[in-house]
Amino acid sequence: MIRILARYMRLYKAFFVQCLKEDMIYRSNFLTLVIMDIGFVCVSIILFSIIYGHVNTIAGWTFHQSVILIGTVGIVREMAYLTFRRGFLELGNHIRTGTFDMFMTRPIASGIHLGMRHLSISESLGEGMMGVVLVIYGFIHLDTWSWFIFPLYLLFVLNSLMIYYGFSLIINSIVFWVVKSQELNTVVYFFMETSRYPGDIYRGIGKVIFTFIIPIGIIATVPASALTGRLSPAFAILSLFIGLSFLATGLLVWKKSIEHYSSASG
Amino acid sequence: MKKYISLFHINWQNSLQYRFSLVVYIGGYSIYICVLLYLWSAIYSEGQSVGNYTLSQLMTYYILQLMINSIIFSYVSWDVIDNIKTGNFSNFLTKPLDYYVYWFTINISGKMLEAVFIIITAGIVSIFVSDYISFPHNPVTLAYFIISIILGIILAFEMDFCIGMLTFWLTQVRTFKYMLQTMILFFAGAMLPLDLFPPFLTKTAELLPFRYLVYFPISIYLGTVEDLLPSFAMLLLWIILFFVLSRILLFRGIKRYEAVGA
Repeated sequence: MIRILARYMRLYKAFFVQCLKEDMIYRSNFLTLVIMDIGFVCVSIILFSIIYGHVNTIAGWTFHQSVILIGTVGIVREMAYLTFRRGFLELGNHIRTGTFDMFMTRPIASGIHLGMRHLSISESLGEGMMGVVLVIYGFIHLDTWSWFIFPLYLLFVLNSLMIYYGFSLIINSIVFWVVKSQELNTVVYFFMETSRYPGDIYRGIGKVIFTFIIPIGIIATVPASALTGRLSPAFAILSLFIGLSFLATGLLVWKKSIEHYSSASG
Repeated sequence: MKKYISLFHINWQNSLQYRFSLVVYIGGYSIYICVLLYLWSAIYSEGQSVGNYTLSQLMTYYILQLMINSIIFSYVSWDVIDNIKTGNFSNFLTKPLDYYVYWFTINISGKMLEAVFIIITAGIVSIFVSDYISFPHNPVTLAYFIISIILGIILAFEMDFCIGMLTFWLTQVRTFKYMLQTMILFFAGAMLPLDLFPPFLTKTAELLPFRYLVYFPISIYLGTVEDLLPSFAMLLLWIILFFVLSRILLFRGIKRYEAVGA
């Protein structure tokens, strides 16, 4: 197990260096992307501040706590771009042109290889950096300090990343049946965009759907809840369980789906 | 005219091929709307309210926003950008087609299909949240609403075409378009109703043409517009202005154009 992990780490490093070089060819593009990202995050913050100009709390969350939510989405997103996200954006092309063959014939898992081949440092870097700033900014306005809070936050961020990965695998598996797939990633995009709202807004059937089936009530809310000291132990364990089951389901669905792949290259 | 009708038909068939994508897209969008509905009910259930909106007005606002977003906003400029960047634009120079009318036709035929899907979706969503939706009592209001949407489609197309035309001058036009798009959605009132903005932003939005794309039609529907006719006059003025601008940009662009990969 450790040896496999070490091997993947080594591969990741090699891919990372390669992708960084590719990114660096277009330096001005790199900068524009970062600036653009920061602009997008600012728009979200402006929207939230406008809402908070009219109300005091959203489902019990104050403005500073909501800033942590926005920041957390940014951090999870950047981590996703550093591991798998752009691979899925390229998946449709690979399948249409038949280059997906490459991922089937290498001695590493196709779902992981696909992501590593297309690591993107620049794509969400601005949002990730803003995310860290926002989380810190939000946090210093709270008084929930205790020593274990940061490791706990990190743990739940990783858990969210796992959910995000599982969700992406499930959604993108559809591509093996339906070749044109851009819209699938629009769904994944909305998935992250709507994660900015606290999970506490959902009631009744919505609570069930947005916790277990489309877990946007978890992605940012659970890590941010850990930081703001509102996370109950029961819900913490539940969300870890959801994380693991999403990852497991994702891998299973993916494995079944690639059996449907028929190469386009003759 | 006949050639554009067949173009319309061909593109309609083409888009129909991708109806699955449309279903997925609309599915994602409906979920997005549900999330927003939960957000606003949560806020209102705490006894708070935003601006002069009742909960049902806000809900109606967002459902209409979903429809209008799909029906009005034009995205052909992605293809226009591609078309010019790859040099395929050269083909048009030799054909008896007007480039502007060509893309207008493509846009309309794509939008019509989307409109059909979206209206069905909105209908279904509305059944589930019917308690929260307000309907206009006056049929005249509905007529004005439809007229404003049709004019909105034209204005949105013209703006989008102008952005596409920038490809002749800018190299990073895609990035530019992304940024512009967010700004347009923001000032159109697609993210939040414009009258909830702080005063200086509301004032800015009033001066810009984007408000006619989302905020204006919805306000007509909700019956919150006071100066209906002056607004329509202003909208027509913007349409003429952007029409002239797109023709100038196209004319200048062709002069500047150097084919790639000839």
